[in-house]
Amino acid sequence: MFGQCTPAEHMSRRALMKGALGVAGGGVVMNWGGLTQTALGAEVAKAKKHCIYLFMNGGCSQFETFDMKVGRPTGGPFRPISTNVAGTQVCELMPKMSQQMDNIAVIRSMRTSQVDHPGGIYLMHTGYAPTPNVRFPEMGAIVAKYQGQEQTDLPNFIKIFGHGDAGAGFLGPRYQSFALSPDGQLPTFSGSGMAPDKELRRHEVRQFLEDQFAANHKSEVAKMHRESYEAARRLGAVKDVFKIDTEWEKYRELYGDSAMGRRMLLARRLVEAGVPFVEVGQSSYDTHGDNFTGHKGLLPPMEHAWAGLITDLKQRGLFDDTLIVWAGEIGRTPSINNRAGRDHYVRAWSTALAGCGVKGGLVYGSTDEEGHDVKDNPVTEGDFFATIYKALGIDPKIENYTGVRPIPLAPFGSKVVSDLLS
Amino acid sequence: MNLSFHRLLAIALVGVLSYCDQAKAEEKVLREIIDSEISAAWLKQSVTPTQRTSDAEFLRRVYLDLTGVIPTYAEAAEFLKDESSDKRQKLIDKLLDSPRYALHQADLWDLILFGRNPPGFGTERREGIQGWLKNQFAANAPYDKMIKQLLRAEGNSVEQGPAMYYVQYRNQPEDLNEKVTQTFLGVQLQCARCHDHPFDDWKQTDFFGMAAFFARLTVAEVGKKDNLTLYAVGEKMTGEVLFTGPAKDQAPGKKGEPIKPKFLHGDALAEPALPDGFKEPKVEGNKLPPTPSFSRRDQLVDWITKADNPYFARAIANRIWGQYFGRGIVHPVDNLSPANAPSHPALLETLTGWLVAHQFDLKALTREFLNSNTYQLSSAGSNGEAFPLWFQHGRTRPLSAEELAESWRLATGYEESSKDKEKDKSRFHPLTRDYVVRYFGTPTNGTGDFQGGLAEHLYLNNGQLSSLFSTAAGGLFATLSDKEKAANEKIDRLFLQTLSRLPSAAERERFEPLMASGEKTEDIRRDLVWSLITCSEFRFNH
Repeated sequence: MFGQCTPAEHMSRRALMKGALGVAGGGVVMNWGGLTQTALGAEVAKAKKHCIYLFMNGGCSQFETFDMKVGRPTGGPFRPISTNVAGTQVCELMPKMSQQMDNIAVIRSMRTSQVDHPGGIYLMHTGYAPTPNVRFPEMGAIVAKYQGQEQTDLPNFIKIFGHGDAGAGFLGPRYQSFALSPDGQLPTFSGSGMAPDKELRRHEVRQFLEDQFAANHKSEVAKMHRESYEAARRLGAVKDVFKIDTEWEKYRELYGDSAMGRRMLLARRLVEAGVPFVEVGQSSYDTHGDNFTGHKGLLPPMEHAWAGLITDLKQRGLFDDTLIVWAGEIGRTPSINNRAGRDHYVRAWSTALAGCGVKGGLVYGSTDEEGHDVKDNPVTEGDFFATIYKALGIDPKIENYTGVRPIPLAPFGSKVVSDLLS
Repeated sequence: MNLSFHRLLAIALVGVLSYCDQAKAEEKVLREIIDSEISAAWLKQSVTPTQRTSDAEFLRRVYLDLTGVIPTYAEAAEFLKDESSDKRQKLIDKLLDSPRYALHQADLWDLILFGRNPPGFGTERREGIQGWLKNQFAANAPYDKMIKQLLRAEGNSVEQGPAMYYVQYRNQPEDLNEKVTQTFLGVQLQCARCHDHPFDDWKQTDFFGMAAFFARLTVAEVGKKDNLTLYAVGEKMTGEVLFTGPAKDQAPGKKGEPIKPKFLHGDALAEPALPDGFKEPKVEGNKLPPTPSFSRRDQLVDWITKADNPYFARAIANRIWGQYFGRGIVHPVDNLSPANAPSHPALLETLTGWLVAHQFDLKALTREFLNSNTYQLSSAGSNGEAFPLWFQHGRTRPLSAEELAESWRLATGYEESSKDKEKDKSRFHPLTRDYVVRYFGTPTNGTGDFQGGLAEHLYLNNGQLSSLFSTAAGGLFATLSDKEKAANEKIDRLFLQTLSRLPSAAERERFEPLMASGEKTEDIRRDLVWSLITCSEFRFNH
């Protein structure tokens, strides 16, 4: 959706941001956001756990990352390299991550149920296959509900070039995601050029009108309209968190000079500021043609940034409370098609977890010689989500109700892969 | 509350008796049946209905529902002044016959058929089919005939319209099948695409049997007109969909088996054999194949649109109900699965039967719905549900992007105050369509529930609304600046033009000092108008 921005929009956005700076400092309006910011700063933020979801949109290849099939017809052209975990190898496209393997747990035995992108994206964002009767919430909405702050200036669920549109589902707009552009910019119209006294006057008149309406209409939607409005106003007080330019020079090397590097640095800043869930997306993994060229271009900036993120979180003491999830919506076929591509495959593929009590240096499950099937310890989407929730300190069996129907956070029958958690 | 409701029922009954015309009397029957079925359920569920809408509440709701915009100041003033007892009924009739009715229905159906971001190259420009939809609703074409014409898609996508529907799904009979069955039959087969359905009846062979009807469609570009590509739909004599078994068990690279067309819940299609030695003629470039001597697609279209199809009439009766009452009797409206029971089964049967007996006359059905007491209940009250299961109060639904943009223009008097009267401007002018649709366009959950959040408020607070605020003659600001007018009168005007109602005593009291002249008068008036057109009362149809 941000792909459609016109040059004119970028101009006006800069102008708006500039205008916004003028009022950011003062005025009674901005201060009422500032109050909650103080409370958020210290102990509250520390007590909570966070999640950064690195989402490889299109479906990253397991063969070109964590499950190489060296010397087999399915193996592809890349060579394996050794890692800082004895006996574990990864693809040569991931030199930085090869030195972080002691910090992450790789799952080589994913087996999921949705072969195409829309279904797969939905599945790997909600833990559930799409069904017409239930609007399942995304993982981010669930984490926002159980690890988010009630009164916060920053949204609890942020997507930086995120994917998936299931949103908050039956949890409702309070847990809806807040989308940033691929370059981590706030949406158009985020900045206000209004003088604080004028903004306050508008706010007061409208609040008065809405109080009249709310007195007669108890409808939730009107209440949510009001809450969203207040969240929009509070965001104005914390806009600086989104400006990474000042910090970027210092971190350019660590994260790598790339769009993914900047996204992940921003994700770290947001987590540090108390945001419980941030999705960081990367696109274009759907390599039905030229799979190897594709991955050669996509993986290096991503893996560099990912390794940098782990280092940075560790240095700041945030790693133990921040879960990093790495996954796409599907894996890719063992067979290489006549366009040097790999197609969609969900029978045996790889994901990875790190931080927040996940055991580092672990490879869980395995596939057969050519990667056609899971050999041991299959992990379903439900198991994957149950494990994530458990790591985040959220009981995956908790039920929410849509109408009278109870819906557990992870699908009924899912099991936590406790071998992955310390 | 119950008492006053019964009194209202009695009033409605008197209204019925005063009509002698045979056809009208027959129509009255349906609205009565609706009210008796709905109130019987209230009794059974121990649910208390709300009061009837005030005239102002009814006015705004019926304008938005039928025409997609709020009433103008003049229209609102006229209706509220009118003291005749049948004024609601007359307003419904008037709006059903207005050109805006056709335009609004076309907007809604464009969204049903295409969504905000349709798949398929070339589907962004849809003037052809949008115009076709508008003409269908303006002529009140019977729904079965309209859908038959749509799905037969004769002619091209610009002059005739319907062909554009298939452009979304060219060479994708499976996707097309999912949408057709969901939209027109209210049957959701998508799960059966990959595996036999776990709790519905559907098997994978049902899915592919239906998809096979579309296997032979081809879409061709057949020219250009006014910079728009003309698409047309043709059909070959050969071609099959391949069935590969459950997705989970698929081996990579394995081709599936061709599968024959079969009607859902019915027989296989009896297909004439191809002539001996038939060879599909080679079609050059962007040409259509010759008209087939036997069209699988047309066989399916005939089956879908038959009055005795078990889903077709039921699906549309339920969908139109959902449109005006906020939720389907089966909800969501496009999932008439045995696993998804209707809230009022007998009522749904009655509506379906009535619609068939009335030759799929959607306008007549709408007239019955809107004249019912159920529709005319207030949305106010203590119940928090936006879309009440038992229809015991009016629903609260967010305005669509089109409704908002055009209602904002009416509320501010933008047209009158603007010298910029170019005819070919976008309907969203002076706002940018991309932004309005991005921030307000798509209910994110597919069932229309309000999911608006932070982002839309950023637009309301900092976006383009000020471009509507012209102080030139004719607009709302000029009217409010008129020194001849008393403050009271101006406040009335302000509320009537934006919220289609008069202010409450408390509101009047609050606004009076703000309307008084002073050095920042104009500035303050802008703030007042802004507050009125961005508050929740404006954002929702209630």
